[in-house]
Amino acid sequence: MAGRSYKTEAVVLRSFRFGEADRVLHLYTRERGRIGAVAKGVRKTKSRFGGRLEPLSHVELMLHQGGGELQTVTGAELVRSHREAREDSYRLGAGLVGAEAMLRLFPEQEANERAFRALVRFLDLLDELSPVKRATGLDPLVLSFQLKLLWLSGYLPHVTSCADCGAETGLAGYSPTAGGAVCGACANGALPLSRDGLLGIEGLLQRPLAEASDAGLTDRGAREALGVITASYEYHGGFRLRTLSA
Amino acid sequence: MFSPSVDNLVAQLTRLPGVGQRTAQRLAFHLLRVPKDEALALAHALEEVKERVRFCRDCGNLTEDETCEICRDARRDRAIVCVVEQPADLISLERTHEYRGLYHVLGGSLSPLDGVEPEHLRIDELFGRVDRNGIEEVVLATNPNMTGEATAAYLADRLRGRVRVTRLASGLPVGADLEYADEVTLGRALSGRREM
Repeated sequence: MAGRSYKTEAVVLRSFRFGEADRVLHLYTRERGRIGAVAKGVRKTKSRFGGRLEPLSHVELMLHQGGGELQTVTGAELVRSHREAREDSYRLGAGLVGAEAMLRLFPEQEANERAFRALVRFLDLLDELSPVKRATGLDPLVLSFQLKLLWLSGYLPHVTSCADCGAETGLAGYSPTAGGAVCGACANGALPLSRDGLLGIEGLLQRPLAEASDAGLTDRGAREALGVITASYEYHGGFRLRTLSA
Repeated sequence: MFSPSVDNLVAQLTRLPGVGQRTAQRLAFHLLRVPKDEALALAHALEEVKERVRFCRDCGNLTEDETCEICRDARRDRAIVCVVEQPADLISLERTHEYRGLYHVLGGSLSPLDGVEPEHLRIDELFGRVDRNGIEEVVLATNPNMTGEATAAYLADRLRGRVRVTRLASGLPVGADLEYADEVTLGRALSGRREM
């Protein structure tokens, strides 16, 4: 069966060497969600792709779908290079957490326009991100992006009332089994969650990504929000992000 | 399909990078056609290289002795060390005949997504050489891609203040037309422009 070519917007989430001078790209596309593609000859200095297909790049691609699992990149135009994000170690660390979260939460070839838009917005904001005096994983933008991805993939932690009994006061912990915050009476075996953590998560979820730094996240709140995100990944997806443990 | 021995040879050749089933069959039939001595010379070369070649104690380059030829060469400038990812990168730099210092082969580049952390590369050995051997300049020649740049940034952060740290220039390939340059490369060439 002859293949077909199509054009789509995409973000390069990850790439690795393949064969003599090729790279395999893990892409998140606007039209088809997550796909894998080969960029032939991209590692050669005379490659027509040049530096356009580096991870975190937002590109418009011409892709050819043949009979195999991997598609082939036949053309690439840059939408935004996000060079500023790649060339600063703090921003790069933050970007890689976001890229890995996308890779793990959206592994299927299935379009999700809102996830694509969130990813593009995250990368745009990353270019101007100033380092906070915390680990990259505790940055409000990084936490906010992951919470929004959890929401888009249907794993949003419920934090406004007890996910077990419905009580609206006395929330004291987070239980991935119950699917959110739990009150003192239902908190057996749950992660401790303070008022700082609850308000922080709520603040991050209610605000757009661009306003994540205005969510009033304290150090304690950021640590607890990260704990909730990590526990959700482990419970719902059975994975941990390598970039968060680095 | 042919005979167990030929099938085995084809299977082994298919494991080489860039060699598919058809190429492997062509190579196997070529080896069957050539005189026995010629085919066994290849087998002997493979055996020898696996038995004798190891990594240089000082720089990580390939060698058959304790240290490599470059590290032993008294004419090389010992105050400058060029950091590369793989031995093949070192060969490319040697072909320029522009560099007369020593090398340090890291054995890869940092990649948190793939689980490659500083302890998996020869980074501590580099810091040890800088502290012990009176090195004045470290040239970071990791690949100009995301993992190579991240590795260079990591090393520069840790070496700053101890030694002069430089990075290979990045920009347009000689002989190319500006018209065909991609935006990222051209952007870097612009930001790295120099006085004339």
